[in-house]
Amino acid sequence: MDISELHASALAALDRASTLEELEAIRVEALGRKGKLAEISKTFGKLAPEERARAGKLLNTVKQDLETRLDARKDALASVVQNARLESEWIDLTAPASGVRPGSLHPITQVQRELEELFVSLGFAIMDGPEVETEYYNFDALNIPADHPARDAQDTFWLKDGRLLRTHTSPVQLRALEKFGPPLKMIAPGRVFRNEEVDASHEHTFYQLEGMMVDRDVSVAHLLYFMKTLLSAIFHRDVTVRLRPGFFPFVEPGFELDIQCLICGGKGCPVCKHSGWVELLPCGLVNPAVLRYGGVDPEQWGGFAFGLGLTRLAMMRYGIDDIRLFASGDLRFLNQF
Amino acid sequence: MKFSYNWLRDLVDQLDTSPQELAQLITIKTAESEGVETHGRDHVIEIDNKSLTHRPDLWGHYGMAREVAAILGRKLVDPVKPAKFPGDASVRVSIEDHALCPRYSALVFENVTVQPSPEWLQQRLEAVGLNPINNIVDVTNYVLAEIAQPMHAFDAAKLQGGEIFVRTARAGETIQGLNDESYALDPSHLVIADGGGPVAIAGIIGGAVSAISNSTTRIVLESANFNASSVRKTSSRLKLRTDASIRFEKAQDPVNTVRGLERAFALLQEVSPGIRLVGGLADNYRPQPVQAPVVLPLDWLDRKLGRAIPAEEVRRILASLEFGVEVIEPRIFSVFVPSWRATKDVSIKDDLVEEIGRMIGYDSIPPVAPLTPARVPPANPQREFHNRVRDMAAAQGFTEVHNYSFVSEETARVFSSDLSAHIQVSNPIVADQNLLRTSLLPGIWKNINDNARHFDQFRLFEIGRAIHPDREVPHFAAAVYAKDDSPMALSELKRLAECLLPGVSVRPSESTQPYEHPRRTGDVLHGETKVGRLFEFHPKMVEGGRAAVLDLDLTRLMESHPAPARYQSLRRFPESAFDLSVLAGSRALIADVQATLEKLAGDGLLSIDFLREFALADGGRSLSYRLTIGAPDRTLSAEEVGAVRSRIIDGMRAAGYDLRL
Repeated sequence: MDISELHASALAALDRASTLEELEAIRVEALGRKGKLAEISKTFGKLAPEERARAGKLLNTVKQDLETRLDARKDALASVVQNARLESEWIDLTAPASGVRPGSLHPITQVQRELEELFVSLGFAIMDGPEVETEYYNFDALNIPADHPARDAQDTFWLKDGRLLRTHTSPVQLRALEKFGPPLKMIAPGRVFRNEEVDASHEHTFYQLEGMMVDRDVSVAHLLYFMKTLLSAIFHRDVTVRLRPGFFPFVEPGFELDIQCLICGGKGCPVCKHSGWVELLPCGLVNPAVLRYGGVDPEQWGGFAFGLGLTRLAMMRYGIDDIRLFASGDLRFLNQF
Repeated sequence: MKFSYNWLRDLVDQLDTSPQELAQLITIKTAESEGVETHGRDHVIEIDNKSLTHRPDLWGHYGMAREVAAILGRKLVDPVKPAKFPGDASVRVSIEDHALCPRYSALVFENVTVQPSPEWLQQRLEAVGLNPINNIVDVTNYVLAEIAQPMHAFDAAKLQGGEIFVRTARAGETIQGLNDESYALDPSHLVIADGGGPVAIAGIIGGAVSAISNSTTRIVLESANFNASSVRKTSSRLKLRTDASIRFEKAQDPVNTVRGLERAFALLQEVSPGIRLVGGLADNYRPQPVQAPVVLPLDWLDRKLGRAIPAEEVRRILASLEFGVEVIEPRIFSVFVPSWRATKDVSIKDDLVEEIGRMIGYDSIPPVAPLTPARVPPANPQREFHNRVRDMAAAQGFTEVHNYSFVSEETARVFSSDLSAHIQVSNPIVADQNLLRTSLLPGIWKNINDNARHFDQFRLFEIGRAIHPDREVPHFAAAVYAKDDSPMALSELKRLAECLLPGVSVRPSESTQPYEHPRRTGDVLHGETKVGRLFEFHPKMVEGGRAAVLDLDLTRLMESHPAPARYQSLRRFPESAFDLSVLAGSRALIADVQATLEKLAGDGLLSIDFLREFALADGGRSLSYRLTIGAPDRTLSAEEVGAVRSRIIDGMRAAGYDLRL
């Protein structure tokens, strides 16, 4: 068999081979130390020098060609094997993920956190106060003396030890003024209590967010600016606000702040009782008596304050129609947020 | 408070604004309207009582008419025509304490005809929600609704003696009210008395005995002023609120008593023809100190409102509300407060800011950003920490709940042996919710059993305050519930504790609470500090499943937080590892065995990991650990590693442990 015949038969064998083992056998037979090419090369000694050189060159070419083709064929076969394995490793990616599903934060927490972040970005500090309060902080120092009719509006849980459950987050105004003094920008979100019969729209336990700013010159114009900025951020759109007189002993003047109804844009609808406006929060300039109770000279400093109902805001945000759900602990409700 | 539109039209010259528009204007400038209803040929504007708390004058139509006149720039028409009541009074009035009754005025009438009021009067009263009774009583109610002066008419024939005493009640005295209820009185109550005893509870209700009846021919007409706080106290103690008490508790104007009589005198002549005065005016009062004028610097006013208002406009607004104005210096006003605004309402310049502000309209003030220095606000690390804990728990699959701060005695008893450690509520909403929670566990327990009705497994948590008499402690309580019998819940909660505070350990408790599983309960420790409790609920506590709870004291948890990490250089030499399986007793603790191994391994120990355990035929357990050792400056030889291993094995044997080798 000469070199060309060997080349042709090896190539034919390569084409037929379907496993790596067959390829190896072909390689050993043609290119191995005791293979056919080696055998042929042994016969070169008998050839004339120029004939020998020509045959040697041919042999090398054939050898290289076979090696290249063997490698290519090997790669091809290997990738077939690999592909078969990969194919067998199919996984249904639509199967549910393993492990525990994430839980969720309470809707009031979510609204509260959003507001906290907003106020911190406006330079407000976040303050806390006790839930069990003294009459002094909850009423007296907020300019609501004993037997003031305003106490009627806040049905109070009294405690046997003479203290009470705070009826609003406003006592934190005093505590913050005492602790930090002016100038001060603060909010105090938290749990408050009113002795009210519970139904779909009334709860004895709910959440408020108190806010106050005390500085050298604080005006109604500043209050309007803050409320508009804040409420536009809360509702993610430009809101129109209006102030009208409202009476709260710890502010003077006191306001009810309304926003133009976001449902009808002020044209009138059932949500705004066809008035075009929705009452949102009480606010006002801090009453000088309160500043004085907080150890602040009202001739030198002034401030504004407001109280936002976090529970009510969460109801508006998520369209919740029964306030009792918030403290129900019912995961069918809570898992929705 | 209901306002009749027609009545307001009597009192405001040329009032042509529609009732609906008027209600809107009143809402924006004065007090919140709750709507307009038609009443026959009249319209009734309902104003929210809460928004009138500070305005005694607005509890009558005349006060509201003054507002309307000021808002619309119209003239106010006073319904009271001055009258003269010459001569000596035919009734004597003695007042025990003028602090409780600053003024008591009265007239006596004879030749009285008691009959139904004319139609127009009845309609007016009905429009504003008052029941017509008879002409005499109706006149008193009319004056009350018109000028906010409560009055009372006594049948003079039923009064004993010629003197009226305004005094505190004596212990044991009682009175039968006009409402047919009987009230036991005590010295905290102010009464009107005759020679025989109380005939009215001052400022609240008249007595039945001296009530006007069809046979009445002679009356004593009372128009008095009572201390607001005293009336409010008595009214709330007797649980009796009347049209009179609602007004008096807002602090009415003592000047108004005689105006009330003047108005009633005119009306009585119309509704009881032939009625005659007997004697002159009885008027017992202590002169009221006149309130000093309020100094109002206009620059200060501008600064408060954030808008410049011309001096002339300020003057015009104040005058329209009948405040007196004197200019004491350029741009400084001295403002005289009218008597009906001086009882409680207006006393400082800030009060005047409101008067000017509401009348110019707050919508005329453009919002302005305050110029304040940029400051980093004081931090609140506690709240930030709570937020991190919340986020971690939610990420680990737990859903946040809120529970009430109240617990019943029955529930409290399940979780604590000492009920006196709970603060008690004097006036609970439901009789049995009368204690404040000292732990989050009662709420979590309820959540578990409630939700077990709907879910086979769930995870929940709460962050809230445990309230003790001397402090409020923020707690974190998380629960895992599963219907199956697997103890994985405890493991999951332990992992959560490790996520919240790396380095915590759990030490089984020998003594447990009745609600805890006695063999699945332990303290959560950070070093030696107890930061919480990990337990499975006693099976009797949870129906149809198992629930485990992690309860952490967030203050301690935060204080225990690990110090910031310090970098250690990476090892340059390879380490060596080997496994050891220790044969231990059935209740041996993995942590204890590990601690013994650590001690024996000494300084060369880089890490030790518990691998697995399996039960042995004799009831004991085989506990497997992987120990990794190394030296900082070289690679340990096989001999050195073997020596350490032998030392540990010998040490363990000496400590009483066998090993599986």
